[in-house]
Amino acid sequence: MKLNFSAEDELFRNEVATWLEENLTGEFEQLRFRGGPGDEHMFPEERKKWEQKLAEGGWTCVGWPKEHGGRGCSIEQQVIFNEEYARAGAPGHVGHIGEGLAGPTIIAFGTEEQKKKYLPGIVAGKELWCQGYSEPSAGSDLANVKTKARLNEETGKWIINGQKVWTSLAQEADYCFVIARTDPGSVAHKGLGFFLIKMDQPGVDVRPIQQITGTSEFNEVFFDDAECEADDIVGAPGEGWKVAMGLLGFERGVSTLGQQMQFQNELNEIIRIAKDNGANKDPIIRQRIAKAHTELKIMRYNSMRMLSAQGGSDGGLQKEALIYKLFWATWHRDMGELAMDVMGPESQILDNGDYALTRLQSMYLFVRSDTIYGGTNEIQRNIIAERGLGMPKEPKVKA
Amino acid sequence: MDFTFTEDQLLFCESVKDFLQGEVTAESIRKSWDTDTGRSSALWAQMVELGLTSMLVPEAQGGLGMNELDFVLLAQECGRYALPEPLVETVLVATPLLASLADNDPRCASLLEKIAAGEVMIAVGHAANNLVCDAHVADYLLLPKGDQVHLVAKDQVVLVAQQSVDPSRRLFSVEWQGNDETCLASGAEGVSLLAATLNRGALGAAAQMVGLAEQMVAMSVQYTTDRLQFGKPIGVNQALKHHMANCAVKTEFAKAPLYRAAYTVTQDPARADFAVSHAKVVAGEAALLAAKNSIQSFGAMGYTWECDLHIWMKRSWALDKFWGHAGFHKNRLHQWLLNPNAKIGAEMTFGEQV
Repeated sequence: MKLNFSAEDELFRNEVATWLEENLTGEFEQLRFRGGPGDEHMFPEERKKWEQKLAEGGWTCVGWPKEHGGRGCSIEQQVIFNEEYARAGAPGHVGHIGEGLAGPTIIAFGTEEQKKKYLPGIVAGKELWCQGYSEPSAGSDLANVKTKARLNEETGKWIINGQKVWTSLAQEADYCFVIARTDPGSVAHKGLGFFLIKMDQPGVDVRPIQQITGTSEFNEVFFDDAECEADDIVGAPGEGWKVAMGLLGFERGVSTLGQQMQFQNELNEIIRIAKDNGANKDPIIRQRIAKAHTELKIMRYNSMRMLSAQGGSDGGLQKEALIYKLFWATWHRDMGELAMDVMGPESQILDNGDYALTRLQSMYLFVRSDTIYGGTNEIQRNIIAERGLGMPKEPKVKA
Repeated sequence: MDFTFTEDQLLFCESVKDFLQGEVTAESIRKSWDTDTGRSSALWAQMVELGLTSMLVPEAQGGLGMNELDFVLLAQECGRYALPEPLVETVLVATPLLASLADNDPRCASLLEKIAAGEVMIAVGHAANNLVCDAHVADYLLLPKGDQVHLVAKDQVVLVAQQSVDPSRRLFSVEWQGNDETCLASGAEGVSLLAATLNRGALGAAAQMVGLAEQMVAMSVQYTTDRLQFGKPIGVNQALKHHMANCAVKTEFAKAPLYRAAYTVTQDPARADFAVSHAKVVAGEAALLAAKNSIQSFGAMGYTWECDLHIWMKRSWALDKFWGHAGFHKNRLHQWLLNPNAKIGAEMTFGEQV
């Protein structure tokens, strides 16, 4: 065990910090501390430009292997990169779904052609992705996918029909990865395929969902005879569930680092306000701040622990990874409440008449979705009990 | 950066786990309740034989010269098997305290040799605990008086037994008079030794509580799988699954702060307060939740003397209050965190207090 960084790693830190200092300026200045969860709808065009700026400096996909266009950073360097990125207040990556989910999945499960076709656009910060998993009748029961994929023998193309929902950033995305049923008679997780679908085509319709924040980050996506090429399927037809679950492993690996640093920025803002308005004198608030800080530390330590145990490889979920979603979602929701309690009655007042929320108000409302999306807390507890602890499974209801 | 234990550390832990599993059972613990001392000299001799008491004794005194990080996984196992013998307090509390003084005090050096050889046992008092554990089987006691640390032979003290809710624990109030001769350290040195002692005691309690919590969850999972009602195992019910999942979260996530604390105690003991308090708070929460949800899962059986669960529950309740209760440690956390110079930025993954 060695819980510090080497001199070489600290040099890397300087390199990151210097680059950010020199480049997060001018038109990008306004992006500082923006574009995180609950703020994804803000500055999309500017953030796309920022993504390309990052790419020019070689700062997208820092953890990807060099052969796929990444920077090949070690775990230590990725930790440092994310620390410095958050410290500078650099904005939420508008390309994070491609960099964190689609890309690693294509690297792990895709063909050489798919890698050539899709990875460069992600690395360049030019092509954005969204995730087509949930459907109106496939929420907690994610495998109950109704969207259908049929291979048209004449054109050689896959034809997709169905509806996805709660799709983050679909309005900005160039591509969507979609789980759809390739075997018409199949049920549950059998008979699914994992497709890479271009968003800009007549058969794809994106409709924003207005959230309790008044803004729209989530969307409904309708596929009405949408098409993709015969080889735009990752894995074989029928193997989509395996790929879809492999992707969730990436969601809980290295990509947690950036999220945690962003959490730290939010919490530090709350601490700053508490010191400003005197809430830090209240013994109960003090305890809650300490609890929030120490639990965030737990998440950060745990990511380090998990990543160093894997030697940086990102597959194979361990027990603590099963637990992570429940922990961070609950933590973030509680922090939203803490933010409002620190601000007191002022927290309920808007700045103007356009339902323009402050960053913390928006966070407070948005975190209500954290304990629901990506598997509700209740589903997470079932998974921990059954897969982590080996408790008896509920008998399946016969369809 | 590396947040893992070495192969050697893990292997050693496995072998000690096997040993404890064979020798320390609910049955043997119940038997010990009916003996005079509640302690087994034969079991202690076996642990000496395995080298456990010599782990943190410096090589100069015939020990293995290991550190707190090397021992923390073993302390966790001591909790898992609810070991009544004072191994954790001997290795993690008494031994390093004597080792800090051994260079200048031949008495301490000599006692360390005897601890390693299994010839003496030492009990430690501290202002954080009003009673001293296992003073009845100790040959010497390390006792605080203000800023002083004293070494007192058992025949120089009067012990008054205080019965514990946990029948495995043997607690004593100690009447004693120190003198210049018995005083090992005082002033700033004494204060810093006592502060480090508190941190190591709290670290040991935290490690044991993580083990206790895991064992209670394992027992409850087994029980809810075996126990049938309405024709199916009660464990299929989400109400019980969620009780256990909540325990798993608390316990699994108490480990990283625990190991972090052990690391900091080893690397920079003078700056370990925050890490230790963090570990003690979360390990205590894990053990208390495991106790609460386990007795609920066991139903009425869990409330009986016959059911083994109370061995683990009572140990958890006791250790949570020992070496600084939750309030004490939570106060240390927020006082440090909200001080104007606290290093809490996004870049401080390992920044605070080493």
